[in-house]
Amino acid sequence: MPRILIVEDDDHIRSALRLMFEGEGFDVDDAPSGEVGVALFSRMTADVAIVDVMLPGMSGFETCQALRATSDLPIVIVSARDETADVVLGLESGADDYVTKPFVPEELLARVRAHLRRRPDKHTHAFTLGRLKVVPDEGVVRRDDGTELHLTSTEFRLLTDLASVSGKVLSREDLLERVWGYDYFGDSRLVDVHIRRLRTKIEPDPASPVYLVTVRGAGYKLVL
Amino acid sequence: MPRRSLRLRLLFTFGLGALVLSSLFASLTYVGVQRVLVSDRQHTDLRDSFVNAALIRNTLYTSPPALPSLLYSIEQATSANVLVRTHHQWLSRSRGAVASDVPAGILAKVGAGQAAEQTISVGGHLLFVVGVPIPAVETTVYEIFQLDPLEHTLRTLLELLGVGALATTLMGIGGGLWASRRAVRPLERVSAAAALIAEGELTTRLAVGQADREVQRLTESFNAMVSRLVERMERDARFASDVSHELRSPLTTLTTTASILQQHRSELSPAAQESLDLLTADLSVFRSLVEDLLEIARSDAGATTLVIETVPAVELVRQAVRSAAQRHALSEPQIVVDGELDDVRVSVDRRRFERVVTNLIVNAHQYAGDAVAVRVSRRGDSLVLDVDDAGPGIPEDEREQVFARFFRGHAAHDRSASRGTGLGLALVRDHVTSFQGTITATDSPEGGARFEVVLPVREEGE
Repeated sequence: MPRILIVEDDDHIRSALRLMFEGEGFDVDDAPSGEVGVALFSRMTADVAIVDVMLPGMSGFETCQALRATSDLPIVIVSARDETADVVLGLESGADDYVTKPFVPEELLARVRAHLRRRPDKHTHAFTLGRLKVVPDEGVVRRDDGTELHLTSTEFRLLTDLASVSGKVLSREDLLERVWGYDYFGDSRLVDVHIRRLRTKIEPDPASPVYLVTVRGAGYKLVL
Repeated sequence: MPRRSLRLRLLFTFGLGALVLSSLFASLTYVGVQRVLVSDRQHTDLRDSFVNAALIRNTLYTSPPALPSLLYSIEQATSANVLVRTHHQWLSRSRGAVASDVPAGILAKVGAGQAAEQTISVGGHLLFVVGVPIPAVETTVYEIFQLDPLEHTLRTLLELLGVGALATTLMGIGGGLWASRRAVRPLERVSAAAALIAEGELTTRLAVGQADREVQRLTESFNAMVSRLVERMERDARFASDVSHELRSPLTTLTTTASILQQHRSELSPAAQESLDLLTADLSVFRSLVEDLLEIARSDAGATTLVIETVPAVELVRQAVRSAAQRHALSEPQIVVDGELDDVRVSVDRRRFERVVTNLIVNAHQYAGDAVAVRVSRRGDSLVLDVDDAGPGIPEDEREQVFARFFRGHAAHDRSASRGTGLGLALVRDHVTSFQGTITATDSPEGGARFEVVLPVREEGE
């Protein structure tokens, strides 16, 4: 049974979410604050986390960073604000996805399931990006000195999906569908922020990318 | 109807005032000076006449034959013509005046033994005639003085005064120009600032600097007024936003628990099932309302949250239509692209643009069956996006009102089943305006309603 960590300070919402996910067959750990959530997670590793942004004490963003520091689990941020700045901040603190309150419960459930369904792509052949070697069937990226470069599962998936179409352009919508597993149109900001984050890890100069390039008006492509 | 320009009126008043005052002053000066000069001159002439008469009398007593030479010397010494009538004979050395120049009134008066004087005009020349009887020797002396030199002086004075009056009038106009500019300039600044504020430039304030006290006071109260207004607007916007935020948490609990209940729907009695369906349906309306309120509050709060990107228009529209249709489980309207528009780009906030398209399609669904077509075309420097439906259309008198917040038209009353938030089209207009675009409601060629969004096309690199 998949295990889900819910960090939410509102008792009612937390209980409702617990009921819903338990009803859907999840094992639920819930925490009223970021501190409790992180502590809980260190004892009972979850498969996916839902983190509210507005938390007393440790903020949702800080909670994301703390969880991300020890794990690649998919993190979905729940926010009462959907300003671009908030969304970007949330994603940059390590979240894989976000939904805004009041969300449609089915949508949140669908997103969580999509993240759980997602498995690393093992079919793409290993490839190199300058001094990096990407090995999809091992799920690792190695520098030329043999050390490993850490990518989150979403970042890894983004990279291998772009590689799998061998240099063709993928639109934001294509990427949302392939990487996030949404069969409906999501928010293109999700893609943009993750691309930016990926660039800071793999590009020699993230400001002028040479591997992960933007094709204006079309999407992104990986230059191998 | 507005009155004529304040500036023109000030100018006219100053000019006219200066003209009237200077003319009055010039006339008074002229008349006064003329009086004084003429009476002075007549006084002198009169005295001279009596002196001359005395000389003539003495000569007639002592040596009458010397009279002509006396008359000659008198005429040399004064500017007068002297006529002497002695023993009923006219005697004159004069080449100028003749006996006939002496007016009858004087002749009569002098004949009666009285001295007399009169100013007459002969052939355009002013003459001052003095008659003095000398009864002892049966003689009368008439002296005719030319006032012409005086007239010349007066004409010169008149000319000078005229020039002076003209100069004063011009200076008055100049003063009026200066004063009106000074008086009107603050007004113009205020009206320019007010226009900017009306356009949404809420940070506009009047510059507080060196100015007259009245202007300074106007500036201060104007700025204070704008600040209060902006504060008020911000408070209103914040209030709506705060309320919506506060509603979000309970609403989240409500929708989540309702969804759990839906999962267990089969375990409920028919009445409970029906109640649950009503609850779920209204929760969804409630949720849209809160979202729309929040969005409209944000858009009221200003453009600070706008993230403008320049993107290819057709792709943008396709994505937005697909997203809108899928999110709201509606049939996707046909997209008709008129012409080669792949390179046409527009500057929008993606999220808000999606909202625009979504609201238009949802609106068509709620009031007109469904959107049947979304047309994209180019018209000059603009991109035109038409959302057509096959519904009953919008009555002409409601085409502007539909964009008002919480407006309920005929369509909404007739179709009580479809319940919009009443904010959808208002939001659409707000968002389109924030992209420097316009939106209007018209008829679609197929007979339904058409919502036409016009956005400025951006050139590459803009």
